[in-house]
Amino acid sequence: MDAGIRGWGAYIPRFRLSASEIAALWGYDGRLPKALGMAEKSVAEEDEDAVTMGWYAARVAMRRAGASGDDIDAVFFGTESKPYAVKPSATIVADALGVKRRKLATDLEFACRAAGEGMRISVGLVKSGLARNTLVIGSDTAQANPGDLLDFTASSGAVAFVVGPADGSAAAIEASVSYVTDTPDFWRRDRSPYPEHAEIFTGEPAYFHHIVSAARLLMEETGLKVEDFDYAIFHQPNGRFPLQVARMLGIPQEKVVPGLVTPYIGNTYNASALLGLAKLLEEAPPKSRILLVTFGSGAGSDAFSIVVQDSAPELAKRGPRVADMINSRVQVSYSEYSKFRGLLLRNIGG
Amino acid sequence: MRLSPQQFWRVRENEYRIFVTVCGSCGRSAVFKRSACPYCGSSDVRYVESSGTGVLESFTKVYYRRDSSEDDLPKFVGVVRLSEGVRVVGEIVGVRGDELREGMEVEAVLRRYASDDPYGVIYYGIKFKPV
Repeated sequence: MDAGIRGWGAYIPRFRLSASEIAALWGYDGRLPKALGMAEKSVAEEDEDAVTMGWYAARVAMRRAGASGDDIDAVFFGTESKPYAVKPSATIVADALGVKRRKLATDLEFACRAAGEGMRISVGLVKSGLARNTLVIGSDTAQANPGDLLDFTASSGAVAFVVGPADGSAAAIEASVSYVTDTPDFWRRDRSPYPEHAEIFTGEPAYFHHIVSAARLLMEETGLKVEDFDYAIFHQPNGRFPLQVARMLGIPQEKVVPGLVTPYIGNTYNASALLGLAKLLEEAPPKSRILLVTFGSGAGSDAFSIVVQDSAPELAKRGPRVADMINSRVQVSYSEYSKFRGLLLRNIGG
Repeated sequence: MRLSPQQFWRVRENEYRIFVTVCGSCGRSAVFKRSACPYCGSSDVRYVESSGTGVLESFTKVYYRRDSSEDDLPKFVGVVRLSEGVRVVGEIVGVRGDELREGMEVEAVLRRYASDDPYGVIYYGIKFKPV
């Protein structure tokens, strides 16, 4: 049995911090935001975390799929900003959504790619018949050392998919591959509040090599060519990299821009490329074929070929749209951002 | 104030989801799962899960709370009339104070509402945000 996406949901906090304010505060050249392709980033409130945002996206995904808690056999929660170092987030979300107890549920960690792995695992479970439907969640309140380059992009958001039989789905997952190596381009050590990165090394041997390799591997295995894809979505660490990697693959910019979300909301890590997919499921006409390639530092990519089905436009009406969430925005200052994200050191309860 | 993981665990269903108790005797409804009707005392009750949507009937700004979750003060607390007709009190989030209006459509969201301490259990529960 082939697998498909039966429902999807997204969550983007409506509070936004402008890249120009970050540049001014930390003494960067005012032209840097444009060079990064960044206008704003979304900011979660004090009481939000990966669990709460993932819950919202998953609730909408289940509604679109028409799935109850009894229909979900597995829950995969992809994040690199777990509220607990030890204690699964998947179980909290599953209980809060009323997902039955007889299920597989686990958190996945592979930097920004864990939810993409969850999609591939789900394809395997559905195709093998071990699960009827799975719930895959990508959710992050991405951390950045204040004033670091990452501060321009690290943002908050979530996305979720119900993966089940392709027959009757909103989008059929016709093929997928993974490409993984040991590449130390970005990491966060235990007890470190913020990640470190290897500057330009995050680009060439990490992001570009893995995405290009996974995309080419997918095309080799399926016989599909670049021109067979109507849209392409790549992981979006900033607004510039996805366009650069598209050029390397010979994919025209107009096939990439519709799935770009990072310039407006920042890099939502595990939700990044998958939010682009959610957006296209709401906008792409049926029969469109989408090339989706995730990326996670460390490093690895998953490439998918996804074909939008006739039911997608109708299912899109059953929940809030990504484009509307992007456009619903309230600007916050850097000081409000610091309060929202707990960057201020306070004595509590004194 | 330190909460109790054990106590929370026992009642988490009523914290994570909004249920409405419908009385089979007097026909009235009340928010939360209850073993007996709060109006007539009948134990002939059934439960339905709320859609989580409703209308904000009134609200106020709060500057104080008893537990350790002072980080997000000040905050807004409101009375929401759910689509199922019952009222519930909850925090209103995702909105600036000057955007709040009586009659505003809201929907339930899961949020953190407290934590024992920086290393304690995080307590999640339902709040409301504008649709």
